[in-house]
Amino acid sequence: MKKNILIVDDSESIRELVGNSLENAGYHVLKGINGKDGIDVLKNFDDTVSLIITDLFMPEMDGIDLIKEVRKDNIYKFVPILMLTTESQAEKKLEGKKAGATGWMVKPFEEGKLLRIVKKVIG
Amino acid sequence: MENLHSVYLEEAEDLFSKIEESLLLLEKSPDDSSLIAEVFRSMHTLKGSSSMYGSSKVADFVHNLETIYDQVRGHEIELSQPIIEATFKSLDHLKKIVQAPDIPDPIDAKYHEKLTAEILGLLEDYSGEIAPAKKEVNHSKCTYFISFTPDKAIFSDGTNPLLLIDELKDLGPSRVYTSIDKRLKSKSYDPKKCYTSWNVILATEDDVNPIKDVFIFVEETSKIVIEKISDVDLLGLSEFTSQLPPNDLNAKLPALKDFKKLVKAVPAEALTRSAEDSLHEDEVDGQEEEKLQKSHGKEEAITSIRVSADKLDELMNQVSELVTTQAGLSLYAENNFDPTLNAIADNVEKLSRQLRDIAFEMTLIQISNLFRRFNRVTRDISTQLGKSVKFITEGGETELDKKIIDSLADPLMHLIRNSLDHGIESREERVKMGKPEKGTIKLSSYYSGAKVYIQIEDDGRGIDAQKIREKAIANRLISKDDQLSEREIYDLIFVPGFSMAKSVTDISGRGVGMDVVKKNILDIRGDITVESKIGQGTKIVLGLPLTLSVIDGLLVKVEATSFVVPLGDIKKCYEIKRDELSNDFNELITLEEDKIPYLDLRKEFLIKDENPPEKASIILLENEDNKIAVCVDSIVGEYQAVLKPVGKYYRNQEFVSGATILGDGSIALVLDAYKIIARKIVKQKKSA
Repeated sequence: MKKNILIVDDSESIRELVGNSLENAGYHVLKGINGKDGIDVLKNFDDTVSLIITDLFMPEMDGIDLIKEVRKDNIYKFVPILMLTTESQAEKKLEGKKAGATGWMVKPFEEGKLLRIVKKVIG
Repeated sequence: MENLHSVYLEEAEDLFSKIEESLLLLEKSPDDSSLIAEVFRSMHTLKGSSSMYGSSKVADFVHNLETIYDQVRGHEIELSQPIIEATFKSLDHLKKIVQAPDIPDPIDAKYHEKLTAEILGLLEDYSGEIAPAKKEVNHSKCTYFISFTPDKAIFSDGTNPLLLIDELKDLGPSRVYTSIDKRLKSKSYDPKKCYTSWNVILATEDDVNPIKDVFIFVEETSKIVIEKISDVDLLGLSEFTSQLPPNDLNAKLPALKDFKKLVKAVPAEALTRSAEDSLHEDEVDGQEEEKLQKSHGKEEAITSIRVSADKLDELMNQVSELVTTQAGLSLYAENNFDPTLNAIADNVEKLSRQLRDIAFEMTLIQISNLFRRFNRVTRDISTQLGKSVKFITEGGETELDKKIIDSLADPLMHLIRNSLDHGIESREERVKMGKPEKGTIKLSSYYSGAKVYIQIEDDGRGIDAQKIREKAIANRLISKDDQLSEREIYDLIFVPGFSMAKSVTDISGRGVGMDVVKKNILDIRGDITVESKIGQGTKIVLGLPLTLSVIDGLLVKVEATSFVVPLGDIKKCYEIKRDELSNDFNELITLEEDKIPYLDLRKEFLIKDENPPEKASIILLENEDNKIAVCVDSIVGEYQAVLKPVGKYYRNQEFVSGATILGDGSIALVLDAYKIIARKIVKQKKSA
């Protein structure tokens, strides 16, 4: 059984890049273009996802709100959530952590690092 | 990777135009915080994806820009005109360098530096540092001491501490010491808690950050100590490793100070030798990495669903061929009275129609991207001319065939330039006339019937019909006695060699242009009309077909020759007796008490027959206010015509826009209502 990972980013190129890497590593990837879309994807998915990777700055609904919203759902109370940040934005990280994020990754990252972190979180 | 890169480039393009659009709006309302946030977010996204795609120069450059807008967002600095100007310049520069992020052109590279300096100069707390500090890459290994005492409740987060240790081990050679809390053996032991802690000696090329990253999820709850104990790879030195204590679960963990003591005991000679070794090792590593990257490239799976325009064109072509072939099948089935074949033919017809609709939809794109382009042009030109102009777009969501949008760029650009140059008055002039100081140009688009209309409206000085008339007489385009309606006078603008500009400027008024505009529009089966009121403004309307490749038409016949008339131009059909035509001398026919000029295809195409049928069909074409009747022998019915261009010998013909292949393999010419009407009207004028 493939594990499902949701990637939420308003940048198509990053969605594709991360998505491709994860798919090649044997995961099933779902994509959302902003927080709101990410929630919709989760709601309409008939399976559960094992990991959510989300950007922070996004139109409509940003990453922090996405995390808060996801944590409200009992199914996703404990699912790991990784935030993507561009530089070390200390306050944002803390804010994300408070909202319930599991950790973060700083862009740019290489495929190897991404897979390592993903593996660490969901095995 | 290749296809992903094109996704990145396309995204960058989108972001550029988004930023441009927001900037233009910001110029008008510099305090709009949502716009500033929009610009900031777009830059942020651009920076993120650029860095992911390896364009660190682009990313760094955008980073500086982004910092400006971050400061604007935080009200640290004000959004000034110099900032906006610099951003526009930067966007132009970025558009260039995203294609070749290494900036191979030395002129560009110099400009890059200059712009970077300019942007940094705009920052609040600019300290003279150029570009954010780069991470120093340390190629030789260092040795770290890491102590990790997880929170006892770590398991309840779902974190497996062993995975963290494994990850540390991935960073380089390591020694791991584990110790278990004594309580593990006592009765108060809680199996849901973690009683283990680790001390690790790690030799790695990385700096401290990747090590910190390992613990990002647990750093707040667990006790973590990371300290560099040596600048060389101690684990590669037997002098050091031989002194290391054994890993004993029950013993006390060797602490930082114990290791530091061991480090001091290592002879200096061994340390320098190790440093040299690690340099050598690097070279080998480098080669291996390259190999690894290569093999990765091969595994890349194609998951992108972006399709190149060429492939869509090809699809559209093939579908057109399929529709033609299917028409042949339907015809054959009809003539052979085979019910099975008929049913199959019906099905194929249905399927190919659906397929055609789907393929057609795929080739439609929104016109907003094209509109957005003019935002910038309008701004640049109006600044150049010293005029202030508000540019409004409406109906950007209207969808059109990609080919049509492509061929609209030039004509629209020309029309907008004209409006800016000749239409909108100078500031002083406007104030004098009691108009708002700022001129307005509105570019809008909407559907009506089977057509899409694009309108360019300005509130400028309008076009003086009298002046056009005078000029046309002077240029011998018309004679003094000619009576022309207002619309006909405006149409003179489109005659080759006609220019109204008093002076030739950089922007427009070279006397070529409007005729080319008209030709371009006619080429895509569109039409163009001008309405104007002196002192109030000008409105130019382009009427365009939805698509270039397939049209809904009416199949008609004259003797054995077939013609297709575009359905969109047909108002009504009548049946008459042929005698009614021959009784008429001025090529006018009375339809519903209206005298309408007519065109007999039999005559025009020199189709001769001694005994033409008694009855004839009249098709009434209407284009704007002009009507014309076309006389044919009979009407066959509706027909989906796949348009094929006619050869170059027909390029100058007067009323055919293309040809189509019918089901039986014969060819039908597709009539161009606009050209027919235009020609007939000219003829009428001449004979009158």
